[in-house]
Amino acid sequence: MCAIPSSRDVCVFLSRYGTALIGCGATCIRLEKNVSRIASAFGKSVEISVMPRHLYLTVSDSSDGTMFTSIATVPESALSFNVNTELSRLSWEISDGKIDYARIENRFESIIGSDRQNKWLLLMLVSIANASFCRLFGGDYIAMLIVGVATFIGFYLKTMLQSRHIDSRIIVAVCAFVSSVLGSTADLFDLGSTPALAIGTSVLYLVPGIPFLNSFSDLIYRHYICAVSRFFDALVLMCCISTGLCAGMLLMDVGMF
Amino acid sequence: MLWMFFQDALFSAIAAIGFAAVSRPARRAYIFCALLAAIGHSARFLLIDASGPLAMNIIPASFIAAVIVGSLAVFLSPLAKMPAETFLFPALLPMIPGVYACKSFGGLVMCILRTGEEGAFGHYFYLFAYNGLVCTFIILGMVIGATVPIFLFKKISFQATR
Repeated sequence: MCAIPSSRDVCVFLSRYGTALIGCGATCIRLEKNVSRIASAFGKSVEISVMPRHLYLTVSDSSDGTMFTSIATVPESALSFNVNTELSRLSWEISDGKIDYARIENRFESIIGSDRQNKWLLLMLVSIANASFCRLFGGDYIAMLIVGVATFIGFYLKTMLQSRHIDSRIIVAVCAFVSSVLGSTADLFDLGSTPALAIGTSVLYLVPGIPFLNSFSDLIYRHYICAVSRFFDALVLMCCISTGLCAGMLLMDVGMF
Repeated sequence: MLWMFFQDALFSAIAAIGFAAVSRPARRAYIFCALLAAIGHSARFLLIDASGPLAMNIIPASFIAAVIVGSLAVFLSPLAKMPAETFLFPALLPMIPGVYACKSFGGLVMCILRTGEEGAFGHYFYLFAYNGLVCTFIILGMVIGATVPIFLFKKISFQATR
């Protein structure tokens, strides 16, 4: 390491690093580990308090007696395990002295900015996945086809609405409604032998699985505030899915129960 | 039976790849997601299959399947050079009990719509409570099962990207 950064610089970098890591869907325990690892690589010690939408950091250096605190807002960004992996790798590179202090900033920016994904490939993958999911519950091939189509259109609608920056809860409810209406065609036209499954499964691609898993992971590591917050976020989305599903089923006059 | 088992593994692998894509894993993570999902879901399938020798409730079955997948993920993560949860959590997604969750909320809605009739209310309240409880405990069991190996082998799990 050529230059030793000041506590202030480390604090500023760590607050950006930490909020990016939380924003991309990392668990609290990983955030704590990675941030402390980077701080100790620079010879500083760090205290962290993780709030659901904010991150409080205090970086101190006992050799020169400096101490800096920052409070940063967690950005609303999409889940990305790729960014999570790369940021974790960056923390080890810093800790093992494989990267100069001067280059860290560039590397961080390129990780944050590099996350691109093919929209159409994603759409295909999700549709096929939800169709296979229907099969796992015992649906026949006709139900799978209907679920695949319902998911394709619903997910396309979701990406379209997301690009217009509409509230995610409204998007989820609208998509669930559209998908369940499409899914209920199996029941309306008497297609296949498992029409009820087609309706129920057609909205499952919207289930916020990762937030649920992250929430329980935080719970185990006693980050109760984050755990409850993530759980409620996921629960509200589940309510939106069910509202959309019930509205779709009422409109098409089909029953699942 | 064997055919059903392989079908279960195949379709859960496909489902895991698709659902994983939403949370944007690293490209090389997909193969691990698919592998772990196939192992996890088919293990659970074997455990809950009523005609099999091990027939058990879906909640302990999910827990055991998650322990298997979690341990595999921890030991695979240094090989894959990725944090365990970045391919472990997507692999668990096919096991998330989405149908139970939807049925539970559906029951709740019907409950509210039918408050006047005691019999119907009781039926829908039962659907709400039963599905909600099963759903919560499946997720809880799954996450505890999957996180315990990460917790026990902290050294391996948090050094994977080194």
